[in-house]
Amino acid sequence: MAARFRSRPDGALRSASERGHGMKTFYWCVAAALLLTVCAVLFVPGVDDFVERTFQRYVGRAAR
Amino acid sequence: MKAAPQALIVVGCLLLIPVAAVVTAAAKQRFADGPNRVFSGGPLVSGALHSGPEPDWSFVRDVETVELQLLDPPRSRRIWTAEHDGRLYVWSGYMGTTVGRLWKRWPIQAERDGRAVIRIDGTRYERRLVRIESGEVLDGISRAIRDKYPSRVTRAAVEAGDSWVFEAAPR
Repeated sequence: MAARFRSRPDGALRSASERGHGMKTFYWCVAAALLLTVCAVLFVPGVDDFVERTFQRYVGRAAR
Repeated sequence: MKAAPQALIVVGCLLLIPVAAVVTAAAKQRFADGPNRVFSGGPLVSGALHSGPEPDWSFVRDVETVELQLLDPPRSRRIWTAEHDGRLYVWSGYMGTTVGRLWKRWPIQAERDGRAVIRIDGTRYERRLVRIESGEVLDGISRAIRDKYPSRVTRAAVEAGDSWVFEAAPR
């Protein structure tokens, strides 16, 4: 049983299944954010221009 | 799972979001009537098609960028332009490097098939891009470019293949 637990800096213990569940939730949140981002760029006016402008700024900075 | 790989996965997942935004915006622009800022656009559809005598190109001295579309492939991009001796020119830098050649493919495509459409201030002009690789005319063209933009294009750079200059000649 003890092998299934890992210690944390604060000394508390968290089970592997608990951590797996946390990651699963994180993946779902990322998937939702991705979907939301793609839809916003495709359908919300001005978002595509904002993305392009931001991209241009970073690329321009990197080129300099 | 170890903490370091897991952190990498988290960072990778979070980076996916801006990457998806950029890829989506670039893909969306491909279906638009012309380019916007940096992403290539689709064919130039709107705007009156110029017909009649050759225009006096000196007006492009006050035009920052033009929209250039090749017929094959039918994609458009926003580029700098310059006028010299009554003729219109476009060019591409960084052509002497592998990164530049991967980044800027239109000059290679234009050399293969120079048929193009240029849209300036809402008017479309049917042109044929003719590459100029050497000659005294490059002195005047590069001077016109440097006068207009913060560019380092020189005749030597063009003749060395670092910059590709095209005349947008009548079709």
